[in-house]
Amino acid sequence: MHITSYKDHFSTLIALLLLTVITVVISVFGANLRSLSVFTALLIATVKVIVVAYYFMHLKYDKKIYTWLVLIVAILFVSFAVLTSIEYLNR
Amino acid sequence: MGMWLFLFTELLLFGGLFIVYMVYRSLNPESFLLASFELDVAMGTFNTVVLLVSSMTIAMSITAIQTGNAKKSIFLLYTTLGLAIVFLIVKYFEWSAKIHHGLFPGFEVYDNLPPGESLFFFLYFFMTGLHALHIIIGGIIISVVIYRTKKGLVNKEKYTLTENAGLYWHLVDLIWIYLFPLFYLIH
Repeated sequence: MHITSYKDHFSTLIALLLLTVITVVISVFGANLRSLSVFTALLIATVKVIVVAYYFMHLKYDKKIYTWLVLIVAILFVSFAVLTSIEYLNR
Repeated sequence: MGMWLFLFTELLLFGGLFIVYMVYRSLNPESFLLASFELDVAMGTFNTVVLLVSSMTIAMSITAIQTGNAKKSIFLLYTTLGLAIVFLIVKYFEWSAKIHHGLFPGFEVYDNLPPGESLFFFLYFFMTGLHALHIIIGGIIISVVIYRTKKGLVNKEKYTLTENAGLYWHLVDLIWIYLFPLFYLIH
C-alpha cells in the first residue's frame, strides 16, 4: 500500500498553483489572442484536472482499472460534447 | 470502487451543464464576453487557490491517518473545512454584489438584459450554485469524518471514510477548475 508523503502532496500543490498563475496571466495579459487564449485556458485546466486525479486522488498508485474507468467516462463525455457541437452548430 | 462510480455520475451531471454552457456560448460569444466582465477575476482566482490548498490538506489528512496520526489528520480536516468556509464566504460576497445590482433571474436589471447576457448569468448562478451546494455537502461529510476519527471509529486500520471524503472533495475542486476559466477568464 502506497502512502504519499506530505512533501509530495505539497509539491503537487505548487505545480497546481503555478498552472493557475499561468492561466490567469495568459487570460489577463494575452487578451488579444482571443480564441487561442480560451483554448489554452481549457488545456491548462485539463492538465490541472489530470494532476489532481493522478496524484491527489491517488490514481497513479491505485489498480489500473480505476484509471481505465476514468478514461472511459472522459471519452464518453467528450463524445457527448462533440456530437452536440456537430448537431447544434450545423443549423 | 463504489465511490468512484458515484463520482462518475457527478461528473456527468456537471458535464451536462458544461455542454449547455458550450452551446449557449457558441451562439452568443460577444454577450458572454460582455457579461463576464461583471465577474471579479481576483476573487475567482483567490477562490481557486483556496480550493487547491484545501485539496492538499485533505490529501494530507489521509497520509496522517495512514501513518497512525489521528490528531494530525483531525487538524488537517479542520483546516480543509475552514478553507471550505472561506470559499463560501467569498462566494456570498460575489453573489450578493450581483443580486444587489439586480443581476439575478426575476430581478429588473437581469430581465432587461440582452438574451445572451442573461443566459450567461443564469448559467453562472445555476452552476456555481450547484457547485456551492456540493461544497456544503462536502463540508458535512468532512465534519462526519472529524467526528468519527475523534471517536476512534476511523483509524489507521480503517480509514476508507477519510479516503472517500477526499475523493468527493477533489471532485468539487475539479469542477471548480473548469468553472473558473469558463466564467471568469473569457477574454
